[in-house]
Amino acid sequence: MPRFGTLNSAWMVWDGPAPAPEEAVLEYPRELEKFLAEIERRAFRMAQVALRDPDDALDVVQDAMLKLARSYSARPSSEWRPLFYRILENGIRDLQRRRSVRKRFMTWLPGPKEDPEGEAQDPLDNVADSGPTIPEALMQGQAMQQLEQSLRALPARQREAFMLRNFEGLNVADTASAMGCSEGSVKTHYSRAVHTLREQLGEVW
Amino acid sequence: MSEQRIGEPNASFEERSRALFQDSVEGLDYALRSRLTQARNAAIEAVAAKRRPWFTRLGVLAPAGVTAAAVLGTVLWLGSPLGQHAATVSDGQPNLEDLELVASSDEGAGDALDMLQDDIEFYDWADKAANSGSAASG
Repeated sequence: MPRFGTLNSAWMVWDGPAPAPEEAVLEYPRELEKFLAEIERRAFRMAQVALRDPDDALDVVQDAMLKLARSYSARPSSEWRPLFYRILENGIRDLQRRRSVRKRFMTWLPGPKEDPEGEAQDPLDNVADSGPTIPEALMQGQAMQQLEQSLRALPARQREAFMLRNFEGLNVADTASAMGCSEGSVKTHYSRAVHTLREQLGEVW
Repeated sequence: MSEQRIGEPNASFEERSRALFQDSVEGLDYALRSRLTQARNAAIEAVAAKRRPWFTRLGVLAPAGVTAAAVLGTVLWLGSPLGQHAATVSDGQPNLEDLELVASSDEGAGDALDMLQDDIEFYDWADKAANSGSAASG
């Protein structure tokens, strides 16, 4: 009889209100979703500044999201931001490398030659924006376009340091983690980027 | 003092560039926002699928397992003699064993006829002897 009693009480415990496993399972994805929703637009714009093409930028951001989710979602959420931007910057660099290889290959093929500088004006850059018609907004849009062009002209590491520090607001340590370099290098890259940008844009701004 | 004077324009430059960038982020059109949301959902689905307990994945694997077991069972059933028997009977076709029996019985009848043809003189004599014996006795 005592055995039955024990079994009965054990069964009662087992049969009691169990913790919802689904809730526990979905806790991380919800947090991750919140994080991704917070940074996705800025990440896209940063990728677009670097790559110019919105489709390429979207692909790189999507890949970075998937890689972060698959490989690093179990890591503490405080690490997600530098990890995400490290993945993103690696993706941008890979794509730029592929582009340069393709460009080199294309020069061997007959047909219209590409601009050797690779800095030809995108025709869409000259199309007037049909959105805002307020002069201030137009001026802001032009200022942003100039900033983007100057950023593209910067060396990649300086551009990364400037965008991560200034646009994303990462501190020096997180920027170093995202760029995979020392904090001293981040400071140097950032300082040079600001100096160059100010020299180029100072007259216009 | 001189550092301050150098730092001030830098600070204003940084603020202005940050503000411009933020404006451009907020100015993204709805199509792009929608595509970003889709990308985010795909990433979340990937991590949710990874974290799902193993037994929930059986729900997906169960139909495949049942199908594989059914195919294997059918193959084994048809491959066995019992399966062949059942198949031939159910099809209404003559069984191989039955055909062998028929063939062997035909073969036996053929042997009997051959034997009759070989010893026909003996059987003729035996018949006559029997008839003459019966006539003599009668």
